Amino acid sequence: MPVDSRRLQGPESAFSYTLLKKKDANAEESVLSADLQKMLIGSNQVRKDKRKPTDARPLFLRTGIISQAKGSAYIEQGNTKLVCGVYGPREVQKKSDFRLNGQLFCEFKFAPFSCQKRRSHQQDNEELVLSGLLREALEAAVCLHHFPKAQVEVNIMVIENDGSPLAAALTCASLALASASIPMYDLVIGTAVRQLPKLLLLDPTRDEEWQPKLNHDENNSNLTVGFMPSMQQICAYVHEGVSNPEELEQMLKLVTEYCLKVQPVVQLCLKETIEKMLANEGENKDAE
Amino acid sequence: MAEILLSEAEKAFIHHGVQDDLRCDGRTRLDYRPIILETGLVSNASGSSRLRLANSDVLVGVKVELASPLSEKPLEGRLEFFVDCSANATPEFEGRGGEDLANEICRFLQMSYMSGDTINLAELSVLTGQQCWVLYVDILILECGGNLYDTVSLAVKSALYTTQIPSIKVATMDGDQPELELSEDPYDTKRLNTQNVPCLVTLMKIGNHYLVDPTPEEECCSSSGVVVAVSGTKKITAVRKIGSGSLHPESLVSMLKTASEVGTVVNKILMNKLLEEERAGKTQKVGFMR
Repeated sequence: MPVDSRRLQGPESAFSYTLLKKKDANAEESVLSADLQKMLIGSNQVRKDKRKPTDARPLFLRTGIISQAKGSAYIEQGNTKLVCGVYGPREVQKKSDFRLNGQLFCEFKFAPFSCQKRRSHQQDNEELVLSGLLREALEAAVCLHHFPKAQVEVNIMVIENDGSPLAAALTCASLALASASIPMYDLVIGTAVRQLPKLLLLDPTRDEEWQPKLNHDENNSNLTVGFMPSMQQICAYVHEGVSNPEELEQMLKLVTEYCLKVQPVVQLCLKETIEKMLANEGENKDAE
Repeated sequence: MAEILLSEAEKAFIHHGVQDDLRCDGRTRLDYRPIILETGLVSNASGSSRLRLANSDVLVGVKVELASPLSEKPLEGRLEFFVDCSANATPEFEGRGGEDLANEICRFLQMSYMSGDTINLAELSVLTGQQCWVLYVDILILECGGNLYDTVSLAVKSALYTTQIPSIKVATMDGDQPELELSEDPYDTKRLNTQNVPCLVTLMKIGNHYLVDPTPEEECCSSSGVVVAVSGTKKITAVRKIGSGSLHPESLVSMLKTASEVGTVVNKILMNKLLEEERAGKTQKVGFMR
């Protein structure tokens, strides 16, 4: 991997101070499912942020946030905040990449201060894979044949990561693409769900997300899905953790139902964007 | 994978064949191509294997080294994957062309091995918080003939099965520094329990049906598919959708069910073959001479 020689890295012996935190005795045992569930859900079936297991965090969407970009969007899902900028369609940078259909270039980046552990300025392997996943998902939604020999760039920057960044990125990117007038088949809505042995948590926060641990029980996993509600098609599917096909089917059903509920919200945001654009155009015409 | 140019007629031919459960090479939709497997080829590695799935050829070498464990996980050893797409495999891998694919395979392998059910990394710990075994799994893709994910995962599982880890005794001294003693007998080694190590199964969707073990031509015809990591206990440890197309939720669910069944069968057959090879003892290595 290319080393960043232009920036000063911290000394190699530096490590996160959170490792010195006294380990809570309860936290050690909480790897077991029963205690894990107790930790995440109180006895009255309510999560730490007062949500029910099948409640998602409130969603905030806005477009036109980057003035220089063709289209842009900002999403806040609880404390997860990210920005997406869309540039294009413009000529392909490398002439050798000539292709009859349009191309999509996605860049997924965590800001260094966005996660609990500091991220590097350059894309690491995880971000490269997330960029690839995002690209494959959006390629299913965008009408690539409408801009041959051209490319569209989608840049995602995660400002704060409090769980389910890929899900928020999918929604934000498709909103940004739509506001940039890129022809699309349908909007992509992203959702994440955490599976516990006897429960499903929709839209997990970072503390609720699945982490690889020793001696993990079965049926403990994380699923992120990108769904196109009008076309009833899944364009992104990432699952990590131990599960079985029957449970995965249930998780998928929960996710698709939620995506159908969110679709009108995203469409409303898009509608407001267009109304604002038309209002601005009207004003400009009057000024002339 | 490799740039395959297919005419519309060829694509239609493949589509029709898949509908009738008869693929171009005579297989049914759920058949694998012939696999040639050999372990213990590389004398300098602690474990190695070479797996050839029809035209896909993968060589895996595992080297064990002592290092300090991750500060967040002081009780565990480490497993580091590295995939190298050789430029010989296909013209697209020239220079840095194969990097994206290598990164994806590497990352997906890591994800599928991270789930607690698969491999017990606590077995690799030598001294809590200070020394542990790190297994560097280096995967070399020699030839690309479609279905790289499956080939790589089977080769890695075989290599890990045969990996010999030297036994180390910790002799505590009076001072703070404990001393590590390597056993004098070079054959005094231990092996990891790889019973539950996952196998990856790739299912590509063509028309209304899905195929196991696609050839490069079939991959070209298909717009989407899933790669499923199935552990020895019929559990799914990681799933990823690949390709630029989309899938209906129902087809996805049935693909997952099929993948889980196919993966279990593949796991069982692989373990049987590895046991067979072990029992056959130290026969002459065939290597690349075939």
